[in-house]
Amino acid sequence: MAEGVIEGIQSRDLWYQFRAFFSRNLVNVFAGGLFALLAIFLLYPIISVLVKSLWGEDGFTLDYYAEFFSYNFYYWSLINTLILGTSTMVILLIVGFCFAYLTTKGPMWLRKPLKITALLPLAAPPYIFAISLITLFGRNGFITNLFNLNFNIYSWTGVITAQCLAFLPLSFMMIENVLNSLNPSLEETASDMGATEFKIVRSITIPLAAPGILKAGLLVFVMTIAEFGNPAILGGRTPFLAPDAYLAITGEGDFNMASVLSVVLITPCVLIFILHNYMLKGRGYTTIVGKPTAVEPREMTPGIKIPFMIISIGVGMMVLLSFGVILLGSFVKIVGVDNTFVMDHVLNTQSNIAIWNSIKVSLGAGIVGAIVAILLSYVIMRGRFPGRQFMEMVALSGFALPGTVIGIGYIMAFNRPPFLLTGGILIIILNCVFRFLAVGVEAGISKLHQISIEIEEASADLGADFLTVFFKVVLPLMFSAFIVGFIYTFMTTMMSLSSVIFLVCPGFDLASVYIYLTAQLGELGLASATTIKMIAIVAISLGVLKIIAKKTGLEVSKKQGA
Amino acid sequence: METQETPMVELRDIYKSFGDVEVLKGISVEINKGELLTFVGPSGCGKTTLLRIVGGLTPATSGKVTLDGEDITPLPPNMRNTKMVFQSYALFPHMTVAKNIGFGLKLQKWPKEKIDRRVEELLSLVYMEGLGDRTIDRISGGQQQRVALVRALALEPKVLLLDEPLSNLDANLRVVMREEIKKIQKRLQVTSIFVTHDQYEAMSISDRLLVLHEGVIQQIGSPTEIYEEPANEFIASFVGYVNFLEGTIDTIDKEACTLAVSTEYGKLEIALEQDDIKAGDEGLLVIRPETLTLSHSYEIEQRNTFHGTVESHMYAGNLAKYTVNIGDRKIIVDQYDPKDAGLFMEKEKVSVTIPRSIHILKKKARSIR
Repeated sequence: MAEGVIEGIQSRDLWYQFRAFFSRNLVNVFAGGLFALLAIFLLYPIISVLVKSLWGEDGFTLDYYAEFFSYNFYYWSLINTLILGTSTMVILLIVGFCFAYLTTKGPMWLRKPLKITALLPLAAPPYIFAISLITLFGRNGFITNLFNLNFNIYSWTGVITAQCLAFLPLSFMMIENVLNSLNPSLEETASDMGATEFKIVRSITIPLAAPGILKAGLLVFVMTIAEFGNPAILGGRTPFLAPDAYLAITGEGDFNMASVLSVVLITPCVLIFILHNYMLKGRGYTTIVGKPTAVEPREMTPGIKIPFMIISIGVGMMVLLSFGVILLGSFVKIVGVDNTFVMDHVLNTQSNIAIWNSIKVSLGAGIVGAIVAILLSYVIMRGRFPGRQFMEMVALSGFALPGTVIGIGYIMAFNRPPFLLTGGILIIILNCVFRFLAVGVEAGISKLHQISIEIEEASADLGADFLTVFFKVVLPLMFSAFIVGFIYTFMTTMMSLSSVIFLVCPGFDLASVYIYLTAQLGELGLASATTIKMIAIVAISLGVLKIIAKKTGLEVSKKQGA
Repeated sequence: METQETPMVELRDIYKSFGDVEVLKGISVEINKGELLTFVGPSGCGKTTLLRIVGGLTPATSGKVTLDGEDITPLPPNMRNTKMVFQSYALFPHMTVAKNIGFGLKLQKWPKEKIDRRVEELLSLVYMEGLGDRTIDRISGGQQQRVALVRALALEPKVLLLDEPLSNLDANLRVVMREEIKKIQKRLQVTSIFVTHDQYEAMSISDRLLVLHEGVIQQIGSPTEIYEEPANEFIASFVGYVNFLEGTIDTIDKEACTLAVSTEYGKLEIALEQDDIKAGDEGLLVIRPETLTLSHSYEIEQRNTFHGTVESHMYAGNLAKYTVNIGDRKIIVDQYDPKDAGLFMEKEKVSVTIPRSIHILKKKARSIR
């Protein structure tokens, strides 16, 4: 009998051990599944591009790279792209600094209007400025006609102007953040010792803010070179990498060259992503924590105040003018040429279908994206397996990679078994989910930092298994992060152009693609009206997001997707 | 036959490493039914890790955990009948007080009325009747502590684990809650393990203490044993202040129950209370400051009296703390009720009388690694 008892205990031990093992490792099983998804929908397309650039009919070859570097059309597109990135970065750092300096230290009456203007482009897709610039300065543009100018907007000037306006919020927010985090008493000390404001800006403010400003510059650079819409619409005959890769596929069906262009485009992005995330991490002189102390603003020296105001107000007027002209263009026949009020553009059926399609895709991407992001942030924070950091890097990389490259990767990776997905709405949704994962994951991680791990341990201690802990405790507590992930993915998908343009099938237009095509055809009224509707939807989402962020005190990542 | 003797918890050769760092180096202890045992030690000694191993929240690298005779080593926390009160309380912020307390009961599929009744009963145990509908952020810190306690007690665990439960409370509330926990623990007769770094808290709440230092058990014993018969120098100086004096045992008089010790300042006669020492042993005398007495009678030679000079004194109302130089050594003397004893001035010559009852640490016992 005693033996029987012992046997009973042993077999129960085995069952117990299995359950125990399962319970302890379920989070890692989840992690494995999520990693498989990341591998399929982020790594695999990117690797496909890399392989395609090196793999010809006869196997491995460097011919395509040789071709790239022997035709000046191709290598000039690289040089142009780098020039575009650098000049936009330099201009935006100056403009962003002027804006941020005035909103943090300038006259009170100016702060709020400047801030709102600087952030306004967030609510619109970047290519809105290409459309507004054409409406204003195009061959038949409002201002061109008004002053009878002989001016070509399809040029460097046009592209750089559009890019600067589009990425102003990014530069402004990052620099303002840095200036806000500097302890005002340092500047006051310098002032107390007799330094002039020039001297303070040069020897205190800028050196202290330098690491933050550098980070802002790098991000602006990456975002600018990755941007597809503006150079594609305004580039004219100047070659740039992202539009050229698009043309290589849609015009010539040359997937190999498109892949080479993608790899060339991706290289600086990856380098900067690594630099940004690993070398600059933790660098910076954040001299105060929390809210900036309320200090009576010092009166600015006119020598600084006036040039800063000229630059900021000038750029601000351009932003407002662009939005105004888009709004106007939606309701009149042709701005400046035939100013009769019409509803044709706004009520256009094709435009409305495109908007409706975009809403459907964005809702899908928002829901799936938020779920994946929450699960990912959970396993990254709470999992116990090697490679968590790599997983986080992959999850966040979708943001740093140019949409064009991911788009090309998707058509190559998913137009054949085992993952035959091209031609449907699903591939567009998946593309957006994995490209825009970063914000949701970061929101999730930031929320999990607020939730003590003891809360999860307590529920396990009280008898809850892993799934019960996750659904009863973790998920309700992370709901705000879920909403943030949802709305961000929704908004960015709504505006996204660069990668979905490869994935839409004929007869299924998305709003962004529709705007791009009508702008190319010169149908600016339709492009403007569709943009206005898109802005309305995005603005509402932003409002909701802001309310949630305020209510839950959640740190919302301040990055912009294009 | 053996049920009477089975300890509630038995830890056998527990080792735990985090990477290269070995935090627990072979812990074995038995915890009796209904007992309140405290794991105490300086921060980083491994006490919380050991508690988490009992609760299943951290797996041991090797060793065995037995609960009421059953090997529970491989079981995750949700399959163990041990419940923990966390340092941060870990109350679920999205649930009411009642939902928090009833969480485990609900998982056990108790019917709703039964849960409600049990929750109300537990609330009245901690004088919180009627507060079940409050959300967590609308009760005070002390009440949160109570909710965490009864949430852990709801399922009538075999062992209650308390991980520094009082460290988030202010000093006065800490004393109140300490007494309350002890009262509830005694009333329910629930075997408990209490973790704290506060020696006085440990001394006042425990049936027995387990003193950990650098992952090794230094001593297990009742508060009196820990204080009066410390196993080594670490234990002796861990609770309260102690003056150490080196000495050699000259003779042992079993008849008179005394032993003669010679120290660098003279001979002492001490009551024979330990049977582990013999003549010729070298040892360390553990002399507590409050057992010493000061007197003005500097000139008079007395037994067990050393002469010295007051270097400094600190007056704290209920006691005066003196630093007395004896030769080149400083001795701390606590004189309670200084009004009665009279104050001694700096540079004053005094006699220090050593009591007859003194614990002696044998040389080899002085430091366990």
